[in-house]
Amino acid sequence: MLTYLLRRLLLMIPTLLGISIVVFTVMALSPGGITPQALTSGMEMKPEQRKAIEDYYNKRYGLDKPAPVQYLHWLNNVSPIGFISDEQGNRGEFSFNKPMDLGTSFQYGRPVSDILAERIPITLLLNLVTIPVIYLIAIFVGMKSATDRGGSFDVGMGMSMLALWSIPTMLAGVLLLGFFANIQHFQWFPTSGISSREALDMPFLPHWGQTGFVRGFLLDRVWHLVLPVICLSYGGFAALAKLMRTSILENLHSDYARTARAKGLSEHDVLWRHVFRNSLLPLITISAGLLPSLLAGSLIVEYIFSINGMGQLAVEAVKSRDRELVLSITWVSGLLTLIGYLMADFCYTLADPRVSYD
Amino acid sequence: MIKPLISRESYAARVWRKTLDGVGVKVGLAWIALLVFAAVFAPFLANSMPLLMSKDGVISAPVLQYLSVEDAWVLATFFVALMVYRLQLGAGKRVLLFLLGAFVAAVLVNWVVKPPVLVIYDDFRTTAYTQVDWRIMPPIPYAPTDYLRDLVSKGLEAPLVTVGHTHLMGTEESGADVLSRMIHACRISLSIGLIASGIALFIGVIVGGLMGYFSGIVDMLGMRLVEIFEDIPTLFLLLTFVAFFGRSLYMMMVIIGITGWSGYARYVRQEFLKLRKQDYVQAAVASGLPLSSILFRHMLPNGIAPLLVAVSFGVAGAILSEATLSFLGLGVVDAPSWGQMLDQAVKSSTFNWWMAVFPGGAIFMTVFAYNLIGEAFRDAIDPKLASKAGHS
Repeated sequence: MLTYLLRRLLLMIPTLLGISIVVFTVMALSPGGITPQALTSGMEMKPEQRKAIEDYYNKRYGLDKPAPVQYLHWLNNVSPIGFISDEQGNRGEFSFNKPMDLGTSFQYGRPVSDILAERIPITLLLNLVTIPVIYLIAIFVGMKSATDRGGSFDVGMGMSMLALWSIPTMLAGVLLLGFFANIQHFQWFPTSGISSREALDMPFLPHWGQTGFVRGFLLDRVWHLVLPVICLSYGGFAALAKLMRTSILENLHSDYARTARAKGLSEHDVLWRHVFRNSLLPLITISAGLLPSLLAGSLIVEYIFSINGMGQLAVEAVKSRDRELVLSITWVSGLLTLIGYLMADFCYTLADPRVSYD
Repeated sequence: MIKPLISRESYAARVWRKTLDGVGVKVGLAWIALLVFAAVFAPFLANSMPLLMSKDGVISAPVLQYLSVEDAWVLATFFVALMVYRLQLGAGKRVLLFLLGAFVAAVLVNWVVKPPVLVIYDDFRTTAYTQVDWRIMPPIPYAPTDYLRDLVSKGLEAPLVTVGHTHLMGTEESGADVLSRMIHACRISLSIGLIASGIALFIGVIVGGLMGYFSGIVDMLGMRLVEIFEDIPTLFLLLTFVAFFGRSLYMMMVIIGITGWSGYARYVRQEFLKLRKQDYVQAAVASGLPLSSILFRHMLPNGIAPLLVAVSFGVAGAILSEATLSFLGLGVVDAPSWGQMLDQAVKSSTFNWWMAVFPGGAIFMTVFAYNLIGEAFRDAIDPKLASKAGHS
């Protein structure tokens, strides 16, 4: 198991390198590319001021050097193994455990790692709340339609799950926002963000205070998350419910289920004690693919609900051609995806003892 | 006794018949046909100028005078496609003939059609065009880029509330008719869906085919490449590409194609790994056929059916990608698109439901239609899978 884990971790390195090369090449090949001139073009300033800023960019990021050199420069700063370089960009000695430096964002003028540290937890929170919701609904619907095969629930759900799966996230988001968080219709939910300002001073749990009911930090957060989580989850559970149904049907007709029935077990026991656990396997394999699609989905959801997560940051970063930020975001999302794959493989061995990776 | 059935039906014909069996797929095909119709005849369905009018005894067709090169080319290509479809030829010849026809049409149209450079839509509502003996207007008498300045359109008006001029689906931000814009936007959605997934398929088949055929080291390197493209969430990659490479329609097609090939490559690789040790492939190798012939004439036709299912879902994905990019404000700038209209639904301080329901509904219906077709197609190709899934 350990060798397998090590091999997987080592295989991540070329993939991550590849991701950064692809993204870097895209930016370097683009018309105009990343030049200090392009970065300062929109601003109103005196020529000498402009010159100073351009010189600063050139020095700080090596933007006047050829693209491969710029890439190696960036890679050297990011990786823990490499040359230590000081503020002026001079190369120092070689080191194996130097601090990783994701660079400074052009747009915000702050270290990228700081910005990411603020934004990633928000996106992860969204996704981690969404995943259990997806699984619970998918398992419930899949189970119900499989046992009711050919019935009205099954047929209706089959069609509506395909329809749900086809609804674009943005349409769902815009409609939910428009109808349930709007003064014109039902203002049941907040329009933006993941917590209101006053909630930050509230105690964690809801309680009755002197002024009446205080909803507390937790309830406020839940209240803000309802619409975004609905938006993020419906596509996932629609796809998984179909998968769950197929898998249960397949298992219900298998030999071991027949044996269990022949032993005289009730259909309930056959379903829950024998078939159910085996049917979960495909759901686990698919969970690996869930994370990248959730990350992409949260990009749209964050844009619609103005949540300051990584997705919104990505949109802002590419719009302002913020090279360091774009590279770091794609890199981090790639890393998260890879970790998702790895975790899915491990869950697979846990659920099915027959699977072994050695 | 089960009576043996002798069927002279070819595999393709049988799959096609079984695909068309369901209700869902008919709905899907009908919707696509409607979109194709709207895309081809857009200038005749929604335009500010009369289709045909008679003034002082002279009959003229302003729509034809103002037909842009693109409009004319789409029309010509549509008729070329119809003609090619009627001909009794092999599939490869048909595709070649169609491409040739489309190219000839493009050259001819560029040479013949010379529309006026400047179009002032307000002019069509002056007496020069209204005081006529008779005239036939298009069903929706507003062009997609006609912002109705002379009619004092305030923009973002709900359907059927405007006095004096009717907008079945309201008006958008700058005052143009939503239905008209939606009809013209069909073109972008359909063409992006087909061409982008065509590009993705082309790259995917070549990379995947080489990977599956050679296996070994080529396979390993190729799989790393596929993994790289799979591990970056597609939308992030798309965003980066679009933001840095400009936002023209053709660029978008290429970009969506380039970012979407990894799934096809995986599919083709899997098929080819299965096929490469088959006798007929070995025979083809032994008789010294060139690589391209082995890959594309002998192996590909045997692995293409499941691939087409993936394409059907892929088209839906490409349409969705375009809509998403437009929605995020990174879409095509100068032409109307569904995603961009959807973005306007919540952009202003009020919620404009018609901007969400109609364009969003169109995106949904199109994606749904392609998904329905893909699903039906998959069940037709693989009856084992269908019975397993309980469709029986």
